[in-house]
Amino acid sequence: METTPSELVKDIGNLASLPDVYYHINHLVEQPNSTVDDIAKAVARDPAFTLRLLRIANSPLYGLSSHVDTPSKAVSIIGTQQIRSLALSMSVTHAFAGLPNDLVSMDNFWRHSLLCALVARFLARQMRRCDPEAMFTAGLLHDIGELVIFNRMPDKAKESLLHVLDSGDELPVNLAEQEAMGFDHAAVGGELAKAWNLPALLRECIAFHHDIKAARQYPREVALIHIANILAQMAEVDTLDREDVPPIDPQAWEITGLQEGLVEETVREAQSSIAEVEALFVGNS
Amino acid sequence: MAISPAVKQSLPPPSLPGFEHVRRSWNEHLQAYTARILPGEFYVTRSGEGISTTLGSCISACIRDNLTGIGGMNHFMLPATDASPEEAWKATNLSAATRYGNYAMEHLINEIMRNGGKRHNLEVKIFGGGRILANMTDVGRRNIQFVRDYLQTEGLKVTAEDVGDVFPRMVIYFPSTGKVRVKRLRSLHSNTIAEMENSYLSHIKEAPVSGEIELF
Repeated sequence: METTPSELVKDIGNLASLPDVYYHINHLVEQPNSTVDDIAKAVARDPAFTLRLLRIANSPLYGLSSHVDTPSKAVSIIGTQQIRSLALSMSVTHAFAGLPNDLVSMDNFWRHSLLCALVARFLARQMRRCDPEAMFTAGLLHDIGELVIFNRMPDKAKESLLHVLDSGDELPVNLAEQEAMGFDHAAVGGELAKAWNLPALLRECIAFHHDIKAARQYPREVALIHIANILAQMAEVDTLDREDVPPIDPQAWEITGLQEGLVEETVREAQSSIAEVEALFVGNS
Repeated sequence: MAISPAVKQSLPPPSLPGFEHVRRSWNEHLQAYTARILPGEFYVTRSGEGISTTLGSCISACIRDNLTGIGGMNHFMLPATDASPEEAWKATNLSAATRYGNYAMEHLINEIMRNGGKRHNLEVKIFGGGRILANMTDVGRRNIQFVRDYLQTEGLKVTAEDVGDVFPRMVIYFPSTGKVRVKRLRSLHSNTIAEMENSYLSHIKEAPVSGEIELF
């Protein structure tokens, strides 16, 4: 019987799930009459989460001039929508600890994801039309389908990676997966986002980052994540040569209005921040 | 950018005797046939084809006669020893580890010369030796040390290299022109490559090389 992406994520809930604090914040943010105070209280109910949130709020990632020492200060300075995104970013690396695999180390997986998050956030700031915090989260989540595939279908996943190497790294991973399984990590990630009830913006960024034409409500954000994924690969292998990474869909530049001249600055920026961001989001605590 | 202007032919050029088993395929991106070698293998050619491999902590030496364009590539690593990485390769050149490296290098050089290459024309490039797994001892460094020492002893000059660091690499070498394309690979591929290298490593541990190498 053929497996489908939705079947693959059906029983993921037992292995990888988001913490209550995320769902509480999410629920409040979606209520129009919630106050900053309501959200701050939801944050404060999880002391470990609060501690991490304050550490991130006071890190150079935000570069705030005043010291953020309470949840309500964090929520009012960072913003309610943005706190929801940040809560998801803070939760997701923990959520996947229960889905180990033998194909990629979690450190390496999250390094690529965090580089993509940093690039996406930086590009969103240049664009001024996408929420940088939401784009950070989208970048962090864009490949989560890989963790599901690597854990649930390790043989097929390995076959795909061997096929990529066999092609001299010319065959894109997502196409190798489609050949081996009939679907790719983007589709699986999209299904997981649906199962987790993530906002439509994130679902589209995850599901369509290799196929930007398929975007429906959020073509601009999807195109941004498509670009960010490739620039994150440049940052990882420390190259500015576009021949060293998969091609960027030319449409993505048009849709975002971003200039290709930004590439070098963006890659350098992500490289300079990655160690700190790894400590904040993947560090043990 | 294609680094070889060849037009696609329906069949790859004939391979030299002894290399018929190496799989070759058309590389659309490079517009050339390439022979893909695995850990422990080597390949020599007189045609305009490329030779490709993926490297983790292994080393590939790319050697050619820069007048005639005859050349090839190997792919090897030293078996693990009990000595420290710094001392292991120096300890004695009779150690099994070093002997395995010598074997891989001499096989390649001898095959190039058997097919008409001249020793004084040999041009060498070396790649690999990455520390691709964070929790692994730096065996790549030992491999780099070995190949540098070997080439120095043999009086062969390295004209280009990309070794060490943390990246797996994909290398495509064209002996006819000496051109080489090195692509650093994402860490997504590290475990798969390390596994290929480990299975090769356990294989050479079980089958130590004999000392019969004909020296030119």
